[in-house]
Amino acid sequence: MRATRTTPRRRVLAGVCLSLVLALSACGSAQNVVSPPSAKRFTVMLDWFPNADHAPLYAAIAHGYFRAVGLDVEPVVPAETAEPLKLLAAGKVDMAISYEPEVLLARDEGLKVVSIGALVQRPLTSIIALGEQRISSVAQLAGKTVGTAGIPYQTAMLHTTLQHAGVSPARVKEVNVGFNLVPAMLSGKVAATLGGYWNYEAVQLRLMHKHPLVIPVNEAGVPTYDELVLVVRENEARADGQDLRAFMQALTRGEHAVRAAPAAAAKLIVKANPSAEERLQLESIEQTLPAAQPADASDPYGWQEPTAWATFANWMYSHGLLVHNPNGGLPPFTNEFLPGQGI
Amino acid sequence: MNAARDAFAGRDAFAGRDAFAGRVRAFLPAMLLAGALAGAWELYADFSGVQQDLLPAPHAVASALWSNGGSVWRNFTVTAEQVLLGLALALACGSALAIAIHLFPLLRRAVYPLAVGSQAVPIPVIGVLLVFWWGFGIFPKLVVIALICFFPIVVSTVDGLAAVDPEQPKLLRTLDASRWQAFRFAELPAALPAALSGARIALAVGVIGAFIAETSTPSSAAYSGLGREIIDNISSGFQTPRAYAATVVLFAFAVACFYALALAERVLVPWHARRRGATA
Repeated sequence: MRATRTTPRRRVLAGVCLSLVLALSACGSAQNVVSPPSAKRFTVMLDWFPNADHAPLYAAIAHGYFRAVGLDVEPVVPAETAEPLKLLAAGKVDMAISYEPEVLLARDEGLKVVSIGALVQRPLTSIIALGEQRISSVAQLAGKTVGTAGIPYQTAMLHTTLQHAGVSPARVKEVNVGFNLVPAMLSGKVAATLGGYWNYEAVQLRLMHKHPLVIPVNEAGVPTYDELVLVVRENEARADGQDLRAFMQALTRGEHAVRAAPAAAAKLIVKANPSAEERLQLESIEQTLPAAQPADASDPYGWQEPTAWATFANWMYSHGLLVHNPNGGLPPFTNEFLPGQGI
Repeated sequence: MNAARDAFAGRDAFAGRDAFAGRVRAFLPAMLLAGALAGAWELYADFSGVQQDLLPAPHAVASALWSNGGSVWRNFTVTAEQVLLGLALALACGSALAIAIHLFPLLRRAVYPLAVGSQAVPIPVIGVLLVFWWGFGIFPKLVVIALICFFPIVVSTVDGLAAVDPEQPKLLRTLDASRWQAFRFAELPAALPAALSGARIALAVGVIGAFIAETSTPSSAAYSGLGREIIDNISSGFQTPRAYAATVVLFAFAVACFYALALAERVLVPWHARRRGATA
């Protein structure tokens, strides 16, 4: 007990030290060396292995933007895509990067999680076909085999796009190819896939001169949604608003850094994930940048469009993917922690 | 006893003189077969029209290994550490359980069905739970590896302990040896060869156990093992040669571990190794 007791004199000393540190940090010459006295550990679980989509996060870490606001951000790579929200709800991580459909599903199952910002503003999930398949529209998939990753809402997306193109879903054979979307296409076992991203698999195929046809699902009849979102527990959203606001502020600076120097951002991704190919990451970062910006330029980075969320949730509900009406209770997202929003 | 030891040492000295030639002769069949298979693979990959992304040719794998040597090496050290520590955990828990089962027949009836059933539990089912309990470090991965490895150790050790010549402990007991001494001087040495065979099987499955462990638990490091490297490479669909390069390293590691343990067996139970001849 004695060791932890703070005498008034010691408190004065600490105050003097603190003001000295603050005065020094204000000098500016050594700005990137001085960090706040105690950065709070903040674990962020990614949706997948580190890739171009996470460029703003890695840029903000590398440039010390998180440290500058008192957060020590540590990214964790999951083993599978449903894991981040589970571990978030279980309290093992402070934030999870996930997908809007997954957030709605998790809330439908009773997990108290809420999305506080969009990393990517629209769907990345696309219908992709190799050039050699000579397919130019969704309608031409009639009578063919389409591979998906076996996720129920992707099956619903496939059905919606087919119906939108006037094709009965019964005329298309769907096979679950797991995460082997690209190999399934390369081996010619499927005519097209639904589940690959236009900013990733499609870019890879283009770099391989496979001339892919790429149709994002929102351009084929599926309501638009935020592909990648930042998710926290409802409790923390209520209690730790300051940290979340600081996080979003630093992430916004990270996004500006990526925009200013995409090549440097690609290098950071390769450093975090040595299996990643730098050329592909750079190409992917450049393609993703426009999708990270809200449609309305007056909205802040990370903005989630309320009407779009409601429409997409309705689409999931009407396809039987959700048991409870998603637009009934508390909203599954909030914009209050974005720069210029909330208080 | 001394005479036997001298004879053994003599054999070693003799073997030492042309150890190199002997070793080459011992490994020659395996090397020739591996070379022939690699040649067939190369021809198939080059001339059958199969795409490089589905089956890369050995020369492409070799060049991927060469150009990513640093990354592969760092991932290898992570995986090797996990396999060895995981196996150590499995050996400790497995042999303790085997001895307990041997000493208390009731335990055999209670634990055996559960131990068998545990082998059917798909690791991804419990991956999140292990992380919930023990976080993002190495321990959940060691638990996965140990879970996969402990079974052959338990089964072979229990069988080895039961296979002791029943006259031996009886003789020791008539010589006023305690239960512990009978166990220590008769049953344990008799069970050692079988236990080591179990350990060798465990080591071989331990390498694939590490792959399962790495791919079914999250991690926070850039280099988190060859399993992660392989999955990251094949799930992007375009870096198949790199995935194969990492696989070749896993393959070689499993072989090296197996023979390292065979060597350990010669030191620990020389009587058994001699009886079996040069099979390993």
